[in-house]
Amino acid sequence: MENFEPEIVAFCCHYCAYTAADMAGSKHIYYPANVKIIRVPCTGKVDTIHIMKAFEKGADGVYVAGCLEGDCHFKNGNTRAKYRVEQVQNILKDLGWEIERLEMINMSAGMGERFASTALEFTKKIKQLGPSPIKIINTEKHQQVAD
Amino acid sequence: MITAEQKPLKEIIEYISPYDRILLVGCNECVTVCAAGGRKEVGLLASALNLNCLKQGRTIDIKEITLERQCDPEYVEELVSEIDRADAILSMACGCGVQTIAERYKEKPVFPAVNTKFMGASVSQGIWAERCQGCGDCLLGITGGICPVARCSKHLLNGPCGGTSNGMCEIDPDVDCAWRLIWERLKALGMEKRYEEIMEAKDWRPAGGGGPRKIVREDLSL
Amino acid sequence: MQKLKDIQQNKSNNKSVLVIGGGVGGIRAALDLAESSRNVILIDKSYSIGGLMTQLDRTFPTNNCDLCTVSPHLSENTRQIHLDIQPMTQLEQLTGEAGNFMATLVTEPRYIDMDKCTACGECYKQFPEAVRFTPGLDPRAPTCMRYPQATPYAFSIDMEKVIDIKALQKVCKAGAIIPHDTQKKTTVEAASVVLSAGAQLFDPTVLDNFGSGQFDNVVTGLEYERIMSASGPFQGDLVRVSDKKRPKKVAWIQCVGSRGINKADVPYCSGVCCMYALKEAMVTKERFAESIEATIFYMDMRTYGKDYELYFNQAKNDYNVRMIRSRPHSIIENNKTKDLSITYAIEEGLQKTEEFDMVVLSTGFRVPETTIELANRLGIELNTHNFTKTDHFNSVQTSRPGVYVCGVIESPKDIPETMVQASAAASMAASDFPIAKDVSLAENEFMPERDVSMEALRIGVFICDCGLEIGGVVDVDKMVEFAGTRPDVVVSHAVGYGCSSESMIMIEASIKENKLNRVVIGGCSPRTHETKFQDLLRRAGLNKYLVEIVNLRDQNTWPHIGQPKEALDKAFKLLHIGINGVRKSRSLMDYTLPMSPNALVVGGGVTGMTAALQLANQGIKVYLVERDSSLGGLAKSIRKTIEGDDVGSFMTQLVNDVSAHEKIQVLTRTIIVDHSGMPGRFKTGIQSGPRMNYMQLNHGVTIFATGALPNRPDVYGLGTHDNIVTQLELDAVIEDDPDKIKSLNQVVMIQCVGSREPDNPNCSRVCCQAAIKNALRIKTINPDAQIFILYRDIRTYGFQEDYYREARNIGVVFTRFSLENRPEVKVENDQVSVFVDDIILGSKIQIETDCLALSTGMIADDETTEDLSMMFHLPRTMDNYFLEDHVKLRPVDMSVRGIFIAGTTHSPKTIRESITQAYAAAGRAQTLLGKKEINLGAAVAKVDGSKCAACLVCVRACPYSIPFINEDGYSQIDPAKCHGCGICAADCPAKAIQLLVYEDDQILAKLDYLFGGLN
Repeated sequence: MENFEPEIVAFCCHYCAYTAADMAGSKHIYYPANVKIIRVPCTGKVDTIHIMKAFEKGADGVYVAGCLEGDCHFKNGNTRAKYRVEQVQNILKDLGWEIERLEMINMSAGMGERFASTALEFTKKIKQLGPSPIKIINTEKHQQVAD
Repeated sequence: MITAEQKPLKEIIEYISPYDRILLVGCNECVTVCAAGGRKEVGLLASALNLNCLKQGRTIDIKEITLERQCDPEYVEELVSEIDRADAILSMACGCGVQTIAERYKEKPVFPAVNTKFMGASVSQGIWAERCQGCGDCLLGITGGICPVARCSKHLLNGPCGGTSNGMCEIDPDVDCAWRLIWERLKALGMEKRYEEIMEAKDWRPAGGGGPRKIVREDLSL
Repeated sequence: MQKLKDIQQNKSNNKSVLVIGGGVGGIRAALDLAESSRNVILIDKSYSIGGLMTQLDRTFPTNNCDLCTVSPHLSENTRQIHLDIQPMTQLEQLTGEAGNFMATLVTEPRYIDMDKCTACGECYKQFPEAVRFTPGLDPRAPTCMRYPQATPYAFSIDMEKVIDIKALQKVCKAGAIIPHDTQKKTTVEAASVVLSAGAQLFDPTVLDNFGSGQFDNVVTGLEYERIMSASGPFQGDLVRVSDKKRPKKVAWIQCVGSRGINKADVPYCSGVCCMYALKEAMVTKERFAESIEATIFYMDMRTYGKDYELYFNQAKNDYNVRMIRSRPHSIIENNKTKDLSITYAIEEGLQKTEEFDMVVLSTGFRVPETTIELANRLGIELNTHNFTKTDHFNSVQTSRPGVYVCGVIESPKDIPETMVQASAAASMAASDFPIAKDVSLAENEFMPERDVSMEALRIGVFICDCGLEIGGVVDVDKMVEFAGTRPDVVVSHAVGYGCSSESMIMIEASIKENKLNRVVIGGCSPRTHETKFQDLLRRAGLNKYLVEIVNLRDQNTWPHIGQPKEALDKAFKLLHIGINGVRKSRSLMDYTLPMSPNALVVGGGVTGMTAALQLANQGIKVYLVERDSSLGGLAKSIRKTIEGDDVGSFMTQLVNDVSAHEKIQVLTRTIIVDHSGMPGRFKTGIQSGPRMNYMQLNHGVTIFATGALPNRPDVYGLGTHDNIVTQLELDAVIEDDPDKIKSLNQVVMIQCVGSREPDNPNCSRVCCQAAIKNALRIKTINPDAQIFILYRDIRTYGFQEDYYREARNIGVVFTRFSLENRPEVKVENDQVSVFVDDIILGSKIQIETDCLALSTGMIADDETTEDLSMMFHLPRTMDNYFLEDHVKLRPVDMSVRGIFIAGTTHSPKTIRESITQAYAAAGRAQTLLGKKEINLGAAVAKVDGSKCAACLVCVRACPYSIPFINEDGYSQIDPAKCHGCGICAADCPAKAIQLLVYEDDQILAKLDYLFGGLN
C-alpha cells in the first residue's frame, strides 16, 4: 500500500473550477495526476447518484468543485451541491466509510493556484486514508487466490 | 399524501443480507413526491447497497424498477417478468405498496425499505407535516379547517388544554397549539360562536376502532 | 451547396472594408467587421499576420501570454464567408470616395501555389535557407505562437536565395512550387478603409552614447523580450549575450530616443515604455531569480493607465525593483568582463557610477518611411511627428472621409488602447455601408446533417501534439495506438496541431471517408476549442454534439509536465473517458430566440451620447437613460481641450443631434430599478420623469457610460478661500473672466491631489495635461503671470509631451515633490501661500499665490457602479470602476455577454479618449445586434412526461422559475428560457428530467471507464 496512487474524481463546474483547472495548467502549476475531472455545467447538476457511482466504480476519493459561495453562475447550484455532498457523506458514514473521502470545494475561475493546492491536499489526504474499502477487500481476495 | 422516510441503511442491509438477487421496487406516487422511494431514491439505495457488498468482497445483483403505483395490483403485475430472477423484494413504497406486493408474490420475501410516516402536506420544499389521521368522520367543517385530531397532541376536541404556552404546545415549543390556530382562524372568519359550542365525545369506530376499514363502491366494483 | 455559392456570389457583389495591417489592431477591426457580417479584406505586407504583439513574451498588466484563451473565436464559417486574408500584399492606390473606393492591391509572388500546398514542410526542412517559414498566426483571432502551424500560408520562398530550383521543385510532392510566380495586381471595391499599419520600434544603434549594436550586453526592450521568450534565441533562458551567463544586475534606461531634443530623438512620449520596463523587471525577478537586481532609470514614471499605478507600486514594493529618477548620459563597456558601467546624476545633484551586467534600452515607437509613403498613397494627412492626423473629437477619423485609423500609427499606445481604437475604427468603417442584412449562417449553407441514430458506432479519435505542448510530455503515438484498440474506434490518428487548417481539413475528410459518426479530439481545453471542432463536424455533415474534446493539454501535459509517466497514464484514462462519453452522445438541436434589436445606453454624457448616436445612425433603436434632468454629463463643465478645441460648441451640437434623432429615445431624470433576461434579450425596468413612472425596456445590448465623479478631497484648503480652486473651476474662469486672469501675479498648481494616494491609489490620467493646458492659456492671456506646477511625475503621454515642453519653454516652473513631503498651504490675512521643498535647491520655498489650482482628478461613482453591478452582475475594480472582461484584449466588453462599458466609468480619461471608447462600445454592440438570433445552445433540461410525478420539486428548485406543471399534469420546461444549470435534473425524485449534452448516461459512462475499464 506504500505505493498507493489514489484514483480521484473531481466534478468541476464549467464556469469556475474547470476554468481554474485550465488556469493551473496554463501557468504550469503542478498538481497530482491522480485527479480526473468530469465537467458539468454547474455543480448543481451533480446528482447524489453520480457521486455514489463514482465510489462504486472504484474512486478512492471524490470532490465536487464549484464557484465560490454566492458566486454561482446559476444563483445557488453550488449551495445545493454542498447539501448533496453532505447527504452522501451521511450514507458513507452509515456504511462505515470515512466521510473525508468526499468533499465540497469552492473556487473562482481565476484561482489556478487554489485548484492545484486543493488537488494536492485532497490527494495527500486520500493517500493517508488508503485505498477505498472496496479495493482493500478485493486485493485481499486476490491475494487469497494467489496463495 | 402518504409520507415516508428511508429506513436506516443498517436495518435494510440486515433484511437483505441472506440474498444475492434483489428486486428493488420504487413507487412513482406519494413516496416519489416526498423523495423517499421514487426512481432517484431507488438508484441511490441500490448504489449504497452495492457499495456495502463490494466492501465485504461480495457482489449483489440489484434490479431497479419503479412502478407507477405499488398499491394497485395491475401495476404490481409488471414485476412478473422480473420476479423469478430475484431472491427477495425490497419495496420503497408505503406499507400499502409493500403489502400489495406481498399478496401478489406469495413465494418471495418482501421487505420494506422505508418507514411509512403519516398523511401529510408539503409545508415547503423538503418539509412535510402531518395533517390528517384518517379518523373517518371529518371535523374540519367546524374547526375552521384545522384538524384537532391530527394536530393536537392530545387529540382534544375541546381545547386548548393547560399545556398551551404562548400559543405553542407543551410537548415541543416548535409545535403550534392546534386549538390556538383554530381559535384564531374562527375569529378571523367571525365564527367565534362555534368555539363556544362544546363538542361531544367522538365516535372512534370510523377511525379504525371498529377493526380494519374498507370502502366498497358497488357501482364501481362490478 | 447552391446556398454556399449564393453567399459567395453575394460576397463578390458586396463591397468590403479594406483593413491594412495584420497586427492585433487590424485583426481586431477585421474580426469585429466580419462578426457584424461585413466583408473584410485584410492585407499585410508580411508573409503572415500577427504584428508586433506576437514577438512579446508576456504582456502587462497580467504578465500572461493569454491571447489564445481569451480571443473570441470567430466561427470558421463566418471567417470563410466574410474574411479574406491576403498576406504579402500592399495597397498601391486608393481612388474614389467614402462608400465607393477602388483599391489597387499588389501581391508579391510567394512561389507557392496555395491551392496545392499541403504545408507538409518538406521544402523548408530541406532548403531552410531559401524557404521562409514565418510561423505567425492563425488568422481567426490574434492567437499566440502556441499554434505556429495554424496558417498554411506561413510558407513562402525567397527566390533570391534559391540555388537549384529544380531540386526544390522535386521535394514538393504536391507540385506546389511555381518558379515563375509573378507579382499580382488586383482591384477591389471598398466602402471604407481601416489603416492599422503600426509603427516600428526605434533603432538605438544610431545613438553613439549607449553602445547599442556595439556592446553585447546592451539590448533593446524587444530584444530582451525575445531573450526571455521560450521561442527566443536561448530557449527562454535569461542569459547575457556575451558569456551566456545569468545576469545579476540588470538596468533599464527609459526614454531612449523619446522625449528628447537631440539628433535622432523624437520629442513625443512613446507611452508604453514605462509599463513594459516594469513588466520586464518583474518577470525577470519572478521567472529567473528573485536575487537579480533590477534597476530602472527614468525621468517620469508614466503609469497612467487603468490600474497601472498599482502595477508600479507592486514593482516597487513587492518586487523591490529599484527606481532611480535620472537620465543617464552614456554607457561604458569593460572590454574584458563585458560589464557595463552607467554614470548618472541623482536629483540632489550627486553623480554616481554603477556597474551592471546587462542594460536594456527602453525604446519607443517611430513611424517608418514606408508608412509615410503609404499615407501619401492613401491621401491622408500626417501630423508633425508623422503619425496620422485625426479629428480632435474622433481619434480614428483621418483627414480623408472613409479612411479610418487605429493603433500606433495614430499615436503611441498600448494594446488595450489599440483594441479600443480598432473596434472604434471598425464601427466607423461599418457606418459607410448601407445597413447590412444578416447573411444567415444558420444551417442552410452546410450540407444536411446525417441521421446517425440508427448507425452502428463508428468513432474517430484524433490526437494533437500541439507542438511540444502535448507531444513533448506524452507519447502521442502510444495514445493513438491505445485509442485504436478501443471498441468501435475505426480511426485513430495523430494530427499534429489539430486546430490548424490542414489538420481540420484532414479530420473533415476522414469523417466523410470513414463514415464516422462520433469524434473524439485529444487536444486542449473544450472551453477554448469546442466551437471550432463543432463547426468542423457540422461541415462534415455531422451534428455538432457528436464530438467530445479530451483536455490533454491544459489539464494534463501542462500541469504534469514534470511527470511524463503519470501524464501518460492520465492521458489514457482521459481518452478512455472521452471515447466512452461520446458513445452516448446524440444529435441535438440548438435553441434560438430572436434578438431584441434595441440598445440601452446608460449615461447621457459625451460617451453615452456618442455611442447612442453611432448606433442610431446604423438604424438601431436606442434608449438613452440619464439620471440628470439634461444631457451633457461632466464634459459640460469643460471649456477647452489641450488642443484648443471648443468643447462647449461640440457638446451643443452633440446634444442637438442626439435629441433630434428619431431612433433615440432620450429618458432624462431616469433611474434603473430592475434588470432581468439574457444577452440579446435583456429587460430593464426604469423609473422616469418627475413622477418616477415605471417602464420596462426590452433591449439586446447594454452600454454603460455612467462616467466618474470629479474628485473634491478636503485638502490643501480647498473650499476655505476663493483663491483656492480646482483645475476644472479654473478652466471656466479662464474662459469667462479674462480680466481676472490678467490680474494674476503668481499661480500655483498642485498635481495628484487626491490621486495616487493610499485611499485612491490610481492616477487620474487627465490632470497633468489639464494643468498644462490651463497654464498655457493663462500665459496667453497674461504673459507676465508666474506659474508654478508642483508635481510628482508629469504624465504627458504621447503628443501631450509637446505641450509640456512648450510650457517649460515659456517659463512655467515645474517643481517636484514626493508623497512623503507634500506641499503645505497656509492662509494668513487673506493671503494664500504654498510651501514646498525644492529638491534641487534643497530648501523649502514659499510662494504667495493669488490663484491656487488643485488638480483633483476623478473618482469612481461608487454608488452608481455598486447599484448597477448588483443588478447586472458586473465585476468592479478595487476602486469601484467597472472591470472589463479582459484588461488587455477585451477592454470594452464586460464578462456578461452583451454588456459593454465606455468612458470614465471604465477609468479616468480625456474627452477624446472617451469618445473613442464610445465608438468602440458601439462597434462591439453592433457585432451582437448584427445577428437576428441568439443561440441558446442545446444544453437544456428535458422532461420525460411519462416518468414525471408532478411533485413540484423542479418547479421549486429552479433558480429561474422556469418549470411548470402543464395541462397534461407533468412538468414542462421551456427550452428557450432554460439556463441549462441542471439543478432540476439532479433533484428530480422521479429521474424524469435530463439535461441534454450532460445526460446521466453520459456522465455515468465516463465514470464507468475512469476506473478499471482499462483491463
